[in-house]
Amino acid sequence: MLKRRKNSSTAATIILALWGLFCFLPILFFATIALRPRNEIIAPEPIYFPTLSIETWAKIWAEWPIANYFSNSMMAISGSVLICLVLGIPAAYSLARYRYKGREDIGFYILSTKMMAPAAVAIPIFVLFGQLRMLDTVWALMLVYAAMNLSIVVWIIRSYMLDIPHEIEDAARTDGASDLRILWSIIIPMCLPGIITAAVIAAIFAMNEYLFTLIIASQKAYPLSVALANFSGGSDGIIYNAIALVSFLAFFPILLLVILIQNHLSRGLTMGAIKG
Amino acid sequence: MNELALPAIGTGKQIRRRSRFMRKAFPYFLVGPAVVYLLGITLYPGIYAVYRSLYTGKFKLDYVGFQNYRELVADSAFWTSVINTLVLGSITLALEFLIAMTLAALVYRDPWVKGWRILFMLPMLFMPSAVSYLWKLLFNDGRVISDLLSRVGSELGNIDFMGSTTLARMVLVVTDVWQWTPFLFIIFVAALQGQDKEIEEAARLDGASWKSIFFNISLPLIRPVIAIALVLRGIDILTMFTPVHVITQGTPGGNTETLSYFIYRTAFKSFEQGYASAASVLLLIVTVILAQTLVRRFFKSGTA
Repeated sequence: MLKRRKNSSTAATIILALWGLFCFLPILFFATIALRPRNEIIAPEPIYFPTLSIETWAKIWAEWPIANYFSNSMMAISGSVLICLVLGIPAAYSLARYRYKGREDIGFYILSTKMMAPAAVAIPIFVLFGQLRMLDTVWALMLVYAAMNLSIVVWIIRSYMLDIPHEIEDAARTDGASDLRILWSIIIPMCLPGIITAAVIAAIFAMNEYLFTLIIASQKAYPLSVALANFSGGSDGIIYNAIALVSFLAFFPILLLVILIQNHLSRGLTMGAIKG
Repeated sequence: MNELALPAIGTGKQIRRRSRFMRKAFPYFLVGPAVVYLLGITLYPGIYAVYRSLYTGKFKLDYVGFQNYRELVADSAFWTSVINTLVLGSITLALEFLIAMTLAALVYRDPWVKGWRILFMLPMLFMPSAVSYLWKLLFNDGRVISDLLSRVGSELGNIDFMGSTTLARMVLVVTDVWQWTPFLFIIFVAALQGQDKEIEEAARLDGASWKSIFFNISLPLIRPVIAIALVLRGIDILTMFTPVHVITQGTPGGNTETLSYFIYRTAFKSFEQGYASAASVLLLIVTVILAQTLVRRFFKSGTA
């Protein structure tokens, strides 16, 4: 392949490199934003080589409860992933391993909730959590994120479970193991990569969520995604260095998680529809 | 489970056998909690939205029948948002598809594919709100794009990207394309890599050109994956909200509002929840129909 494409490969590399620059340069610029003083962000002429200083960080950190935003995000996300796994693993097992009436419909119903437009249910969700007196709590975010991601988690894990050969379970069953015992000590360990993939994808989507978060969180429950909008209300205009700092604070954990599952990423993103 | 469901019919070994009812009900017990939880965020809100759409008022609700719907279909702001959603959506999806497929075709046999993939993936790993602020800064507040354009010879000076509908829409498209092209790219690369290498090899030995191999063999082979990827991305694009909320807020003159943003604005800024619920119900009907047809068509149920 490579030998054959010697001539065209230069052109190909140029195209790839250009797109790579288009991806990377804005991120680099954003990184410098996090480190520059305010007067070098909104200037008459854009400044490409600013005076970078860590002091900007210290200032932002002192002015805003950023640790708070971060811990809100972590709590809401990890809680929601936990709910997804507790509800999702048995559901995936049921869909992957049993034959029963309505199984197809149940499976497709679960998948179709992924297609639901958040805006279409935003008002009822707002009213519901209002009645439960849970607005502006991390718990409400956790429950919403879990609901949003449950379909993905079920379908990803189900796809990995379908790959496990039946023989292993049959052997265990002949030895007298119960179904739950088989799930716990055979199936779950064997599809651990799938479970981790599902958890990472759910965590990313929870980190990204914006519309529900915007209507639920109004101050003390701010997670990172909506905290950004908080940096734009006051008389200072939009405080871009704080926004950039918080953005990278969310970016690095996600980057680590994605590198962890990079060989399963495409399978996770298509909810198990493709392998590899 | 055995220990729990033990109407001990016999003795000894039979004690391990569950009753017939339990055996039949077991899979439902496993899937039940998830289904109940999901009904809580789909069925309940759906019913509530329908109910609320028949009432008006902020605190004291007055029954108005289909009044909200009648006003909605006569509201030009609503139709602007619908058209915007469709126009922005199709342009964005088409661009993302073309770019992702081109990049994937160039890269999938490259020995450095993993490196390219990490590089191209980076934009996707930022929160959408962060990406929206980044492009708001580049286009508008920081005037970076105007400056770069004038450095390569543009005479336009400082362009007001929020001043014209076309430009403001373009900003939204660029933001979404920058962030989410990698989503399709990752899936396409995996699909192309996953196809049977020997088919390509055989075609090449027969003297087929690179182009005809790609378009006549590889592309048709991965068509099911392409469909799924486009459905997933398409649904996301049709519900586009974050960049609109962060970057344009509908400016100029409401011309960049998407349907999601229209619902949000009427419900949470103008506090007309009945009116917004009517729009929600319409959106809900469309998504339910889309979900039912697309999901069943493109996802295999795959029986073990």
